[in-house]
Amino acid sequence: MAEEPQLAIEAEGLVRTFGHLRALDGLSLAVRRGEILGLVGPNGAGKTTFIRTLAGLLRPTAGRVTVFGRAPGPRASVDVGYMTQSAALYEDLPVLDNIVFFGRLFGLSRGEARARAAELLELVDLRGKERVPVRSLSGGMRELANLACAMVHRPRLLLLDEPTVGIDPVLRLRLWEHFAELNAAGTTILVTTHVMEEAERCHRVALIGAGRAIAVGTPAELRAAAGAPSIEEAYLVFWNRRHRDGAS
Amino acid sequence: MSLSRISAIALRILKQFRHDPRTIALIVIVPLLVMALIGYLIGDSGKEPLPVAVVNLDRGADLPVGHVSLGAEIARALSADLAIAVHGASSPQAATERVRSTEVAGAVIIPADLTQRVLAGTPAPIRVVVGGTDPSLQGPVLAATAGAVQSLSEHAPSEIGFRAPPLTVRAAPIEGGVDLSPLDYDAPILLTFFAFFLTFLLTSVSFLRERSSGTLERLMASPASRLDVLLGYLLGFIGFAVAQALLILGYAAWVLDVRIAGSVWLVLLVLVILLIGVVNLGISLSFYARNELQVVQFIPLVLIPQVFLGGLIWPVQTLWPPLRWLSQLFPLTHSTVALRAVMVGGERFGDIAGRLLALLAFSVAMVAVGVLALRKQRA
Repeated sequence: MAEEPQLAIEAEGLVRTFGHLRALDGLSLAVRRGEILGLVGPNGAGKTTFIRTLAGLLRPTAGRVTVFGRAPGPRASVDVGYMTQSAALYEDLPVLDNIVFFGRLFGLSRGEARARAAELLELVDLRGKERVPVRSLSGGMRELANLACAMVHRPRLLLLDEPTVGIDPVLRLRLWEHFAELNAAGTTILVTTHVMEEAERCHRVALIGAGRAIAVGTPAELRAAAGAPSIEEAYLVFWNRRHRDGAS
Repeated sequence: MSLSRISAIALRILKQFRHDPRTIALIVIVPLLVMALIGYLIGDSGKEPLPVAVVNLDRGADLPVGHVSLGAEIARALSADLAIAVHGASSPQAATERVRSTEVAGAVIIPADLTQRVLAGTPAPIRVVVGGTDPSLQGPVLAATAGAVQSLSEHAPSEIGFRAPPLTVRAAPIEGGVDLSPLDYDAPILLTFFAFFLTFLLTSVSFLRERSSGTLERLMASPASRLDVLLGYLLGFIGFAVAQALLILGYAAWVLDVRIAGSVWLVLLVLVILLIGVVNLGISLSFYARNELQVVQFIPLVLIPQVFLGGLIWPVQTLWPPLRWLSQLFPLTHSTVALRAVMVGGERFGDIAGRLLALLAFSVAMVAVGVLALRKQRA
């Protein structure tokens, strides 16, 4: 039997261009199994492009990337749960039908998908809302339903693209509690965020700029290496250092 | 009322259009295409005469003035008619076969004893064999024959004692008829047109919503292959599309009492094969639309060339040859002929097998195009 790779994600020199734009410009990053890794960087840094490449939606222009040892795509997708930036759900369908549908897409039988949906509705505190059409849910509840759909097939890796944008602080805390629970149960999580408080909750953080990882480490390591009081300021230090050193 | 606010709104609309070149292109292309087609089809230039087979069996008669053949005169008058192109045929059977294969729009069969009968004052019918399912084909052939007979009565030499009344034109439809109601002839066109239009609208807008809501991205991030997504969509939509077509067909048959001479199942088969292609056409084209407005703008682009060039109004046989070949790529061309053949002419599966094959080829091609279009989602 082949040995299980120790890395959940391995990217080396990853390049993705859109016309003249180099959204990923030689990004190299390794995500260990069982960790929560935060991607932090300004808009246009390449975070979403990286996540979409891992989800198998974009092919790399150059470089190499694997998810649990396999190239991203339909076959690797059974291990990946992808929570899109805005809730991508069928508005007219009830919450339960959405979760069951995505479960069926990932190969669950109808019975399995319904049982799993019941578990997830409990987990994301949407019990009692299963028959409510998505369009009638509040913004926060939609995000919870969105997370439930991403989790339905028990993925080993969860890709969360700015999961708490536009969500109130109470719900944000609840979502992070869910992420922590999932992680404790063995799920590797890659999350993009602009909220430094969230970055502090990650085991490690990769600072992304101009399509590359400019620094990777635990929040404490990054702050110490930059001599900065926060990850936000550490980002600016690493960014300026990179420019001073000729952006090599 | 504030002029500055009104102008701000109007300016904003202009700016939005400036940033949407695809919509601007459609605004320009669609009316130009429509007007060019109308100008061509209604105008006098660039159209081919309708092919008609003429079989002149008339032996003529020897008169004091010499040998006279009224059949030859009629054939000459038909040859001089610019609206039709006379093709020779060896026998009435061969001519009828050419009508059946739609190679010619009709066949004028002039009997062997035509001149003799006219001279004897007995009825002398000229048989015009027509398909019997398409008034745009049989109408001009019958009119041209009547015109030739009329011109003969006006110009025939007085020595032969020619009298017009015994000479008649008798339509001989292979199937269907020449005196059915306009609705009987047009119901197949309306059925195929509305089935196409409604299904295209339903599929393209629904798929656009799937894209814009982000759920398509989610589908493509799952183990589902592009073909899985496409066939799932097809299966989901085909039921609604066929139900819609059945409603139109049922209403036409029971409420409007439209003629369905052939098998209803065969009508349904034609529609199902057509609609499989249309569902996928809707999916494929929705990839090139950014919003519902652009999808709606695609409708005339997709439908008008088919309606104008597909034999729904004007006969395909009179089109400029490159347009005639183009019309063979349109599904509506084949579905119209097939539905008319079954509903008006009562034809069977074997008779329309070629048309079904063409529709099947369109459907398979559209599935392939749909799979390629979905590639844009995983690029």
